Amino acid sequence: MKQDELNKFLKSLKKEYFLFAPKVDGQNSVISEVNDIKAIDWSGKMPKNSWKKIFLPARENMFDLNKDFKGASGQHPMVAAVGMNIVDFKALTLFDLVFSKDVYYNRRRKNTLTVGLSVNGPNDYKKYKVFSHNYEENILEHIKFDIFLMKKRGGSYRVYSGSQKGKNILNELKIKDYEHIEFAGAISEQGPDKKMLELKKKMEKSKDRAIWGQLNDICIACGKCSIVCPTCFCFDIEDSSDLNNNTRSRKWGNCFYNDFSKVAGGHKPLDTVSKKIFFWYYHKFVRTPHEYQIPGCVGCGRCSKVCPVGIKINEVLKKI
Amino acid sequence: MINIYQPQKVKVISVVKESVDTRLLRLSFVDRKTQKSFSYLPGQFMQIGLSNWGECPISICSSPSNSEKFFELSVRDVGNLTHKLNSLKKGDEVYVRGPYGNGFDTGLFKNQELLLIGGGCGFIPLRPLIKDVISDKLKVKSLKIFYGCLNEDTLLFKKELAGWNRKSELSTILEKPTKKWAGEKGMVTDLFKTRKVSPDSVVVMVGPPIMYRFVIKELKKKKIKDKNIYLSLENRMYCGVGVCQHCAIGPYYVCKDGPVFCYRDIKKYM
Repeated sequence: MKQDELNKFLKSLKKEYFLFAPKVDGQNSVISEVNDIKAIDWSGKMPKNSWKKIFLPARENMFDLNKDFKGASGQHPMVAAVGMNIVDFKALTLFDLVFSKDVYYNRRRKNTLTVGLSVNGPNDYKKYKVFSHNYEENILEHIKFDIFLMKKRGGSYRVYSGSQKGKNILNELKIKDYEHIEFAGAISEQGPDKKMLELKKKMEKSKDRAIWGQLNDICIACGKCSIVCPTCFCFDIEDSSDLNNNTRSRKWGNCFYNDFSKVAGGHKPLDTVSKKIFFWYYHKFVRTPHEYQIPGCVGCGRCSKVCPVGIKINEVLKKI
Repeated sequence: MINIYQPQKVKVISVVKESVDTRLLRLSFVDRKTQKSFSYLPGQFMQIGLSNWGECPISICSSPSNSEKFFELSVRDVGNLTHKLNSLKKGDEVYVRGPYGNGFDTGLFKNQELLLIGGGCGFIPLRPLIKDVISDKLKVKSLKIFYGCLNEDTLLFKKELAGWNRKSELSTILEKPTKKWAGEKGMVTDLFKTRKVSPDSVVVMVGPPIMYRFVIKELKKKKIKDKNIYLSLENRMYCGVGVCQHCAIGPYYVCKDGPVFCYRDIKKYM
């Protein structure tokens, strides 16, 4: 598919969907709503923010308290997430597992179309210096996408479909030159990622390592790493009201914030910065692999870029 | 798809003032079918909430044998929501979800020398176990209960304690009693000085984290094995189903894998 054909394709998508894609913003690429298709950044650069707000909004209504805990309505907007890269799909695959029984997530997910992008082949994740695990050769079989675009050196795109929904859309728009890839599960045929298991073992034994004390002195517990992280999904449930609404809603939680673990009476298991940061790493490198056999960190490096005091996740992992 | 966060309406059947800051609420689902099919295990908990006040996890303290008619929660006034819950009256309506958590595996206590240790309002989740032993639903070799509390005002289940003492060896100790108190004075750990505790005992303890630290020391002195020590943890939580991460401890979730843990499994994360 040529670029102008792709633009035509997106234009017709736009009739039905709110389009979200990476856009150039100064030196960064930032995921936001797209009105002008020409503004989309096709460079394949890692966006500064993650896609998670599409799938797990920073705040979402769960119940209407004025109506006796009637569940919030299922009217979710149709959203097309265009330009998701391989590691972002890895994060989405994790979300699909974590929220498999969550009615709000699933409603939203159902109305979302995912269109992937990889520049110069699926190996392009290597340029992000993914450190936490090895990705398989046949990576497209292990991520859940609707449509995937692989940008070739000449600038044209190879098109894949990964779901019936993706197929239908391509067929409707009379795009015939595509290959279908069947999702073969999140875990590769060779079993859980070896690098992930190695890191898990190291992390489990790392409690007394000097690194946690060092981070205690550096980290200011601002929580920015959690906010940009595509796999951080902690949440709080909160009742709130304003003039018109009275709702129980779910909002992003943050394990760096002070009341995250605080219970009535004042006891707080995570009472130091080092305990908080340990908790964060433990979730990604032990708890998630323990529960789902896939990594809790996709190696996108967003946390390192956003950290105001320069904590680099790959450097930390070398010292555990 | 079922909404796992959907609260159900329950009616307050009765309220008993258990102590100066704790009310025992007897609750029954407004939907009768829900109540009829309701069942739980000792040690499990409910998320109880009020519109605009949020939810909080509270241990069920009734015996499961009446589960098709009602269940009971003892709520201590320690925060905004629990304060509100303490002002509930008969006939009021509240919202619950649950039961959540693993509860006690009572099979492990069968024919054992069972020692229950409760500190403060940590004593609440032990009540269903005690009730089941007293009513012979749970057969044990012997039952010892250590109950430590601040003072007479905060002592729970006062009317029931005497009855329990007939079928078990109940020791109550108060940290700061009034002069009228004829019983023992001190911390719950002081009871280990005067009571015989067999090294083969199976121990269940519930109380604040600081209590665990000191009680475990005493249990080790009595040569009780880690695998025979069980405890129930209280962490902040929202979802109740192991997703929101607030209650995570090591690789586990208090809401899903707990709140009851075997000390052997959890000690390195405490």
